[in-house]
Amino acid sequence: MTALLEIEDLALSYGAVPAVDGVSLAIEPGELRVILGANGAGKTTIIKAILGLKRPRRGTIRYDGEHDLAALKPHQIHALGIAWVPEGRQLWHTMTVFDNLRMGAFQSKDHAAVARRIEEMFVRFPRLRERRDQLAGSLSGGEQQMVAIARALVSGPRLLLMDEPSLGLAPIVVRDVFALAREINDMGIAILMVEQNARQALKVADAAYLLETGHIVDQGPADEIARRDSVKAVFLGGAA
Amino acid sequence: MDLLLQQICNGLVIGSTYAVVALGFALAFSVLRVVHFAHPDIFMVGMFSGLVAANYWPGLGLIIAIAAGAAGAGALGYFAERTIIGPLRGRDILTTLIGTLGLSIVLQNGMALLVGPDPVAYPTLVPARFIDIGPVMLTLRQIVNLGLSALLLVLVSVFVRFTRTGRAARAIAERPDVAAAFGVDVARICQITIVFASTLAGVAAVSVGSLYGSASAFVGLLYGLKAFTCMLVAGNRHIEGVVAVAIGLGIIEALVTGYVSSSMKDAAAFVVLIAVLYVRPNGMFGSYAT
Amino acid sequence: MPSFGFFEPILIFTLLNVTMALGLYVTALSGQLSMATAAIAGVGGYMSGVLTVKFGVPFAVAIAAATAAGCLVGGALALLTSRMRDFILKLTTLAFGEALAVLAFNWDYTGGANSFTGLQLHTGLGTCALAVAAALFVAWRFDQSRLGLAARAVRDDPLAAAAMGISVPGIRFTTFALGAAIVGMAGAVQAHYVLVISPSDLGFFVSLNYIIFLLFGGLQTMWGPVLGAILLTVLPEALRFANEYRLIVYGVIIIAVVLWRPDGLLHRVPLGVPQRLFGIRLSPGRPARATASQSSGAPLPQLTRTAAE
Repeated sequence: MTALLEIEDLALSYGAVPAVDGVSLAIEPGELRVILGANGAGKTTIIKAILGLKRPRRGTIRYDGEHDLAALKPHQIHALGIAWVPEGRQLWHTMTVFDNLRMGAFQSKDHAAVARRIEEMFVRFPRLRERRDQLAGSLSGGEQQMVAIARALVSGPRLLLMDEPSLGLAPIVVRDVFALAREINDMGIAILMVEQNARQALKVADAAYLLETGHIVDQGPADEIARRDSVKAVFLGGAA
Repeated sequence: MDLLLQQICNGLVIGSTYAVVALGFALAFSVLRVVHFAHPDIFMVGMFSGLVAANYWPGLGLIIAIAAGAAGAGALGYFAERTIIGPLRGRDILTTLIGTLGLSIVLQNGMALLVGPDPVAYPTLVPARFIDIGPVMLTLRQIVNLGLSALLLVLVSVFVRFTRTGRAARAIAERPDVAAAFGVDVARICQITIVFASTLAGVAAVSVGSLYGSASAFVGLLYGLKAFTCMLVAGNRHIEGVVAVAIGLGIIEALVTGYVSSSMKDAAAFVVLIAVLYVRPNGMFGSYAT
Repeated sequence: MPSFGFFEPILIFTLLNVTMALGLYVTALSGQLSMATAAIAGVGGYMSGVLTVKFGVPFAVAIAAATAAGCLVGGALALLTSRMRDFILKLTTLAFGEALAVLAFNWDYTGGANSFTGLQLHTGLGTCALAVAAALFVAWRFDQSRLGLAARAVRDDPLAAAAMGISVPGIRFTTFALGAAIVGMAGAVQAHYVLVISPSDLGFFVSLNYIIFLLFGGLQTMWGPVLGAILLTVLPEALRFANEYRLIVYGVIIIAVVLWRPDGLLHRVPLGVPQRLFGIRLSPGRPARATASQSSGAPLPQLTRTAAE
């Protein structure tokens, strides 16, 4: 089976400073894989490269075995079925919840399908239906995370990129978020998650990569990684 | 009291033109993050396009001039966006200012080469007539100008609030990366935004040309800086704020002209700018983070 | 002093522009790119002009007064913009400069719209050389001093600088005042060469020209603005042959350089330091922190691809 997403020897820099150097990873359809790393390790940089928001210095990002994402523009990449739950949610605060969701499928021509999916979101997240016409900026952190995830699902993606979904959220909400990720994954949507919260992430993931200052230093099935000393020392000491 | 009302009305007319130009700046700045210094000069080119068309087809008067002004400015806006403004997107703000300044210099001096540096007479598109509205006296030209500006401002509001492209533009203004990642073709929307702003400026320019009866290659200097300060004072979060500030500025200037002296009015814009920004550094109505 | 005849005006203007650029550079070191340079120079010019013409004050004293005046204006501007961030700050200085220009336009004591005339030609090549030397010296000493380092720290990251005990408002005030003093001096020297001071000389367009010097030459080193000033003073002169098209060519060159080299022509990239220009990011996105060199040590375990589950 061809990997859904295959990254080979990826290198990115900010000006003269290298952020990611020689990263290779892959994810199969329907899998949930996580990239673990501390701040500044380069996790978000990889996500931005996949989304076409940052051009790599070197390396290939192959989707579905045929599309080279490094050569495409972000809106084209979105059309291929890749959606983003950004770090810190990054909703449009001056727009309503409904408009935020609508923007999630901006270029979709199939308005009926989009409307149906938005309705599905409201069914799954009744709280969002209540807040439908409220400005997104007025919602709580947990509610904003729901909107961010719903916004990503509205376009019917095959691959979801989740960037630190637990960041800044209360512990009880964090548990819900990871459970939600598992639920989405069970529906068949592949998830590539980047996280600092190793313990929770490894509970839901199929496999994990360890990223340290731009290099992958370890990788393997989630339960194996969870037992490794390197992970224990670096992450499990402080995570929720 | 009559002087007050008269000056307020005069101020409304001036302010409405500031508003249209300022909106062009605001659109370029929020959506493209570019300080579009050449916008007033695109305005100027629109003015001359209208002039040429009106002279060529004198029978069709105002309509052809407006159409030509819109077309000329819009086309110039398109080419400028493709070649200079678009590539400046994403650069630091001062670089965009200098880059568009270069374009401004080229446009101003290019036009001055064609028509000379002195003002040129504008064809009569609207008859010179005085209209009494209660205690206030306005010329027909002022009323036409006001009407056109109001129409343009409504168009911008409709664009930003109710069209799909306008929503995309707002999305880009607030979060460009997220907008791109959710399917917005940022390059195309930026193009449309600049062409839209340029076209409106072209129409406003013809209106202003006919109002004052003259056009000059350097008319951009007059409107540019002040309209720009309007944008800064208002902040770029709410586009209607820019309109309010611009009209306010027009009225303040008119009042200064009426009650103090006409030569001091130019300082009004800058005094207001400094005062407002000292108290609210993000502009009166707030800005997105730059 | 040997006579340079035909080249003397170009030489003098080059020296003057270099001085202005250095003054602006000092102010910009702390991240405040002032757009009121021409206005401050104008203040210096008017001050020395009024003193020599209306009060018969000796030239040297007038220059000193102009320098002090510039210093005061710079300090005032620093206080006015103390609450403002980069971009808004720059534009406030622009507005301030414009307001001064309008004031000059309306103040009949200094000639108002008809410009201030009657100045004596006190400035020669010698004076300009002295001025440049003074500016170079001050800029160089400041650049190398701890104050200069502190200024750069304030420019790059005011929060971190404050956390290290640097008084951010103090540094901003000092750099502004010092830079403005140089500019005021240069304005006085220039006034006594051109012999006329008009309100339009204070306008933002002239200020922008000085900024273009800086941006062309790059801001990482002191010599960038010097190079920019020299190039951009000589270039329009060299273009004189294209007389009417001169400005158009100038505009085209500006566009070309901006599109081609947004960092300026002369820049030294320190390794591992994020690239920022006056606190505004050069490239979109978060600059990465300076990363340590690659981790060395024991070889990594053999990595195998995980199978899909």
